[in-house]
Amino acid sequence: MSTQRLNAAEKDLEKFIKFLALKSTQVVVQSRLGEKIQTQCNPLAGNDWFNIVVQDHPDVLEETKRALSLKPGDSILQRLPLCIEISLKTSEGDQMILEVWSLDLLALENNKTVGGGGGGGGEDTNNKGENESQVLKASHAIYNRMGIMLKSLISLTRTTPAYKLSRRQCPDSYGIFYRIYVDRPQVHTLGEGHKHVKIGQLNTIVGSLIMSVAYRTKLTISPTAGHHQATTATTGTAAQQAGIMLKSDHFRPASDANSPTSQLSTFKPPLGGIGATNGQTGDKRFIDIEKPLRPGAFTDLGKLRQFTEHDFVLRETPPFEWLLRRQCHDSIESLNPKCCDSPVNNNNHINNNNGSNGNLNNNHMHNINNNSAAFKSFEKVQVATSPIKSLLIPASRHNSAPTLQPQQQQQQQQQQQSQPAPQQQPGTSSDDDSLLKELHFPFASPTSHVNDLAKFYRECYHAPPLRGLGELQAPSATSSSSCGATAAATAAVTAAATAAALEGSNGSSSMDDLSRQLEQFETSLEDYDKLVSQFGLSGSSSTGSRSSGGLQMSN
Amino acid sequence: MNARSQVFDLTMEGRQVDEAVASIFHTVLFHRCLGKYMYTGDAQYSIGTVGYSDVDCDFIDFTYVCCTSESLTRRVKRAINIFSEKLRSNESCGSGQISLEFFQKKKNRWLFPQESIPWEVWTVHLDLIKHDNEDERQLCRENVSDMLTEKVIYITELMNRHDYVPKTPSQSELDLIFDTSFPDVQPYLFKFDYSTTGSAVPSMGNAMKKIIKETLAM
Repeated sequence: MSTQRLNAAEKDLEKFIKFLALKSTQVVVQSRLGEKIQTQCNPLAGNDWFNIVVQDHPDVLEETKRALSLKPGDSILQRLPLCIEISLKTSEGDQMILEVWSLDLLALENNKTVGGGGGGGGEDTNNKGENESQVLKASHAIYNRMGIMLKSLISLTRTTPAYKLSRRQCPDSYGIFYRIYVDRPQVHTLGEGHKHVKIGQLNTIVGSLIMSVAYRTKLTISPTAGHHQATTATTGTAAQQAGIMLKSDHFRPASDANSPTSQLSTFKPPLGGIGATNGQTGDKRFIDIEKPLRPGAFTDLGKLRQFTEHDFVLRETPPFEWLLRRQCHDSIESLNPKCCDSPVNNNNHINNNNGSNGNLNNNHMHNINNNSAAFKSFEKVQVATSPIKSLLIPASRHNSAPTLQPQQQQQQQQQQQSQPAPQQQPGTSSDDDSLLKELHFPFASPTSHVNDLAKFYRECYHAPPLRGLGELQAPSATSSSSCGATAAATAAVTAAATAAALEGSNGSSSMDDLSRQLEQFETSLEDYDKLVSQFGLSGSSSTGSRSSGGLQMSN
Repeated sequence: MNARSQVFDLTMEGRQVDEAVASIFHTVLFHRCLGKYMYTGDAQYSIGTVGYSDVDCDFIDFTYVCCTSESLTRRVKRAINIFSEKLRSNESCGSGQISLEFFQKKKNRWLFPQESIPWEVWTVHLDLIKHDNEDERQLCRENVSDMLTEKVIYITELMNRHDYVPKTPSQSELDLIFDTSFPDVQPYLFKFDYSTTGSAVPSMGNAMKKIIKETLAM
């Protein structure tokens, strides 16, 4: 009889606990929706649990039930550490666990000994009588106590830092998400210095019911940390794993693998929260606060360009330079000029075009190269995670592999100086196409100025490369062995050649003239040498020591 | 009879007083309010339900929860308002205290006044400060908010202890325990008390004064 009573009381208790769990999840999740909540009193016999009006949100109810996965015969007591995890997710996909609310049931030793203790007959009945009365009273008191616990929960949900964050959430910056799971509360995801608050403890015959919350206190994502991670990303994955606070793969792999509950745990945005965050790309990305632009929705991250400091430095290039020479493989992305030039490419341009600024730019280059290296490895991470990217030609690969090409071309030019026309062929055909495309001005009449401009550029474009340019580098090899005077002479020759080339730019006849002239110069090189050495001797005797020093060097 | 007593010491600006006190008292009252009892027989009754509302503070970065009851809110507000005006007036020395006292009545015997026995007292002791610049004010705004968070956590902790709470009586004696004057909620009997004299310790003198006042009030 009494055991039946006890069972009935236990059944009641189970029911109470079940509804306490259901209502608790409602309270917590609703408090994080970002709105003020008001529920009306119902003085006339409301049938809300624990006499508190907590509206049931169907989604939350469903989630809780799914997490508990109670079948008709099952007891909630076995499923209990029920946790509600509140997390923040930025629009860039970065995630941070803010707090974990949990309802747990701990075994109660006292009651067990009372239940199990069966000594003398009289004592036993006495014990049971006491126990019975306690239970009878308790079922009413427990109900009230649970009501108070739920009220405490309602009050406390408004005080943790996550509440203020949730009130300020907006789809542009971040959203608050919840997850309900049945497992030990995973407080290790809350970072250093997280706080733990016990909301209430209720001793019942089935155990001690404990409601508690653990919440993060360090909510700032400092830019230094983000930068640190961006730079250390090159060194290896160890650095990435150190930044566990900002990562979303926070589940301990062991517990995750063998607990069946992990499948039940679901991750859902609350109503009003942002839903359009890409989970796949968000997995392994770092917070990069220094990034000036954010990708919009549905952008292919692979095509995005990583901006560097270099992009803020104005290039010293002639206007309309984009119309001139280009790498053939860049033509695909010519519609989007931002994508095509990598920092490395730009550096080459600068070094070629204005050597006077070389020193100035070198300082920059040093930084930029560091940056570009860091960003490249960054992009590699993205390549691995982005599923769409494999379909397209990644911009980063374009830029990284063939950056040496301009130099190679120059070397080719040096070697094949005699036949300039065929040497240029491979580049021109595709370049021509893109050039024509770019120079197609739909509203320009045949007589307009724009047409002239186009013509001019076309002519410029078809002009053969200046031999002098190639020779500028070539003499260094020869001059190293010979005397300094030859170097000076060749310099003079190349200067003359470039001047000549500038004057008679196009036309193969003038080119032939030039080459003939050059050959002539080369044959009479010894004469020049003699002349210069004579100058040097006379200079040393008459004037200062500067030129004599130069002569000593040459000798 | 011994009543449980809690004292909270707070330091803040004058304009924050109302909201700070309200957030503490409403949190307490929310826990001490039940649904309205509707008696169907002497021993049988059904209990109404309590709704709750979020209240955002204007001068503190804080949100608290109170029962959705206009009459209750009005009563609390009026009591705090009187106190806060006294505290912030020119005669005041800038400190004072207000208490929320839960009590139960004893049946009045012939000729004797009805005896009320406090069983729980929540006291907020306040010291006013003035800020010179906006930076300090902003800092204080955060400090007060942190302080209130701490207090609310403490209140919930106390509420979940198994301490004495008057038992629910029969219908005839219901208003010896509960305040049945509210149409939507049924809190335990409570009253406010305040002093802005500066020496804010609940002393024997105060108690004596109270007794004399009560006898005179008869």
